[in-house]
Amino acid sequence: MGPGVALKLSLKLAAAVIIMAVLASCGEDKYQGSPLVQAVGAVAKATVGKAAEKRASATAVAPAPVTRADLEKFGVPILRAVIAARGADALLTMSDAKGSIITWSTTDGTTFTLRNGVLIQTRGLGPDLMSAQAPSLAALQTDGSTHQRIYFLLGADDRGTRRSYDCTVSVGGREVIVIFGRSHTVTRVTENCTRPQDKIANEFWIEGSVIRKSRQLASGGAGFIDFEQVVD
Amino acid sequence: MLHLPRPLTAALALCATLCAGPVTAEMTKSLNINGATGLIEMPSGEMQDDAAFSFSIANAGPITRATIAFQFSERLSASFRFNTWRDWNKLFPADPKKFTDQSFDIRYQVLKEGQYLPSLSIGLIDLTGEGLLSSEYIAATKSLGERFKVTAGLGWGRLGTDGSIGQPFGTRPPLAENDKDKPNIDQWFRGDAAPFAGIEVKLTDRWTFKGEYSSDAYVLEDSRGIVERSSPFNFGFEYQKGPNTRFGVYSLYGSEFGLVFHMILDPKNRATGGVMGAAPVPVKARPSRASDPDAYDGGWVTQSDAGPLLRKNLAKRLSVDGITIENMAFTAKTVEVRIRSGRIEAVAQAIGRVARALSHVMPASVENFEIVPVVNGIGASKVTIKRSDLEALEYAADNATLLRSRVIFGDAGPVPDYALGTGKLYPKFRWSLKPAIRTTEQLKGDLGARLSASYNLQPGLVFSGSVYARVYGNIKSSTGPSASTLPHVRSDGGLYSTNGEIALERLSVAWFTRPASNLFSRVSFGYLERMHAGVSGELLWKPVDSKLALGAELNYSKQRNTDGMFGFDEYDYDIVTGYVSAYYDFGNGYLGQIDVGRYLAGDVGATISFDRVFVNGWRFGAFATLTDVSSAEFGDGSFDKGIRFSIPLSWALGNQSNSSFGTSLRNGAGDGGARLDVDGRLYDSIRDYHGGALDTEWGRVWR
Repeated sequence: MGPGVALKLSLKLAAAVIIMAVLASCGEDKYQGSPLVQAVGAVAKATVGKAAEKRASATAVAPAPVTRADLEKFGVPILRAVIAARGADALLTMSDAKGSIITWSTTDGTTFTLRNGVLIQTRGLGPDLMSAQAPSLAALQTDGSTHQRIYFLLGADDRGTRRSYDCTVSVGGREVIVIFGRSHTVTRVTENCTRPQDKIANEFWIEGSVIRKSRQLASGGAGFIDFEQVVD
Repeated sequence: MLHLPRPLTAALALCATLCAGPVTAEMTKSLNINGATGLIEMPSGEMQDDAAFSFSIANAGPITRATIAFQFSERLSASFRFNTWRDWNKLFPADPKKFTDQSFDIRYQVLKEGQYLPSLSIGLIDLTGEGLLSSEYIAATKSLGERFKVTAGLGWGRLGTDGSIGQPFGTRPPLAENDKDKPNIDQWFRGDAAPFAGIEVKLTDRWTFKGEYSSDAYVLEDSRGIVERSSPFNFGFEYQKGPNTRFGVYSLYGSEFGLVFHMILDPKNRATGGVMGAAPVPVKARPSRASDPDAYDGGWVTQSDAGPLLRKNLAKRLSVDGITIENMAFTAKTVEVRIRSGRIEAVAQAIGRVARALSHVMPASVENFEIVPVVNGIGASKVTIKRSDLEALEYAADNATLLRSRVIFGDAGPVPDYALGTGKLYPKFRWSLKPAIRTTEQLKGDLGARLSASYNLQPGLVFSGSVYARVYGNIKSSTGPSASTLPHVRSDGGLYSTNGEIALERLSVAWFTRPASNLFSRVSFGYLERMHAGVSGELLWKPVDSKLALGAELNYSKQRNTDGMFGFDEYDYDIVTGYVSAYYDFGNGYLGQIDVGRYLAGDVGATISFDRVFVNGWRFGAFATLTDVSSAEFGDGSFDKGIRFSIPLSWALGNQSNSSFGTSLRNGAGDGGARLDVDGRLYDSIRDYHGGALDTEWGRVWR
């Protein structure tokens, strides 16, 4: 087969593919757009996502344009979540409250469930934290206390998996942190967790009986999430 | 070039292998140009990671090889390969210019690499073909540090043609004409054995150097004048681009040049790291009975508008997830809802979403949620969830396992008498126009468009049809009737493709029912597939929690004309076929199936198949059919075998979709061992909703 033939063949194929793409989106019994269109969409999204990530990292040092006054105007509690691995920074509102367990939601339907400020579930991240055996707030305020922490994850193969850690709480000194222009006097707490494969540390900045700020592991894929309780 | 005595080279390599120190880190287990784990042409002792699925295409001198391979388990891999020899007629002008052949390989890893021991694998290459590539080997590979790997092995058959050390297990009998296309058991590890060896050096994270001493003398190609082998040494470089692609460029046999491209996919890992899609709604908590006893009063059931109202509210909540209510029935304490999920491919997740929606819609007195997934209009199974468990476990640690221990998987049973009915769902007309790829024989097929329509008269009763129009294909229009001596039930596929540019593929009515508890049935009548029309009946016994299922099928069919229209006069052929089948779920996604019966050409035999299915919808497997026709009569491939795979689009794109891409590759479309290609066979449509499958994906119930 000469190069001319190959070229003709690929032109024919290209024409066929274009015809396919045009034909692809007819019909009533489909729930989605055509696979081809979807694939293109996914690629476009990924590209946009990358660009957004780059932008996010470039502007990370710049102050957020939103002020506390803007946020307090809404009159609802607001939690900020930053997922470094995703270049994501979102302000969340409550979508469910059951006692000390509060589920916070982004506008696009990703949720984070925290029990007294301790992350116990995520939904919509992809590699989600399905449930957790996590320490109570009281345990996190007791220096030297130990506990077992278990992450129940939905693995990339869609099967439930677990990661189990042995953790020790270390209560540090007092610090002053600033969240959206407001100062908070907090106690810094580190939860050091180990398992044979690795070790992680979750960090909490506790103001009285409120976890004002934290840095908590969600899952292997999503990494750590930084939370800030902006508006109570 | 360095000319060490050959056995010495091998011995050196073997020593290096066995005298090795501890491993510190792992190098990529790379593929060779045959698409199998190994060096350049030689295999190695390694295996790909469990479940890896690879597609390789190589151009090595005058031979093109395209291979699909999968790691069926940690130790067992299988591959299917198409080889094309160009200039086949160089010395024999009467022969065709190109010659094609397929080969099927199986490889097993006996030893995994340890601190001191190498990995050790044995392999059977081209074990069921015409024997052009047939060879067996045993190979060991050891890593020395993080950047160096050494392999040594012993090959038989084609891999024993250069530098033989003798015939340790006796002479290799020639492959009798009759035995072609069957497992060449008599030849295994017989005849001349020759050592091979090689090294792999990781130069950078992306670049690797490979060098090997090959024991394949290229006798066949030499006899045809298309390869002049002047050296047993092959070497080259490989470039790894990301986790999924790898390129290689090599100098081969001292005289040729080779290029290879590999695409390696991991069915266990989604490109997106997990299933995407919005979070579910939270479970709605009921007030405590003590605080609001009135809320638990069941008097609401007497309200005449309760049914339509509840159904409307539920439908609204479920439509967000693409779930349709087929039917609904309730009492003050129990609700049964029959659902069809169009978008969420994991049944467990759809069930979780329905339960959450019910917690919002149903009055507090309703404690039992019975969710029945419906397939082809019939209830596949029933999952019963206590509402109080749903409330209590929503935020509990390990909630999926805890919930599983409290729910009941049972038989769907009949629709209750007091059900609200199917509403406006029936009759329902649907249509679609989609691109489609159709393979008629090996590497031949066409690209076209398929117009499908269906008319659902009532649950379980559906009229459907499809028309296929060819846009582009590589089947020659001069294709005549096949030379098969059996009735041409499949082998005239080329004629069907070329005579029916636009053809009616199917036009049939199917009726699905549940004759009794644990029993499922199907009757189909009409133009069942592109080559045959008739009637087909099937009965399946499959208790929800049983690993074993048994089935029986009986068909009467007449062969259709090749123009794809309504007539039958071109072939005067009709036949009764039937099978009894046993299906077994071995757990962890491994499925086995045996069918015994009479096939389309009147031959009697059995098909055995093994598949591995993944929670995310990936599926691959292999099958083989042996019937009582002689291989001469069987046509292409006396013993029909092949591999099949299916890749869900949701895996590639991370979204929620039920579409998938897949095909089966077999050797030739012979007339022996052929079955009617009826839509809607029961086991595959029911299995996803039963114990084994539902349990493996149960982690998604709270998703």
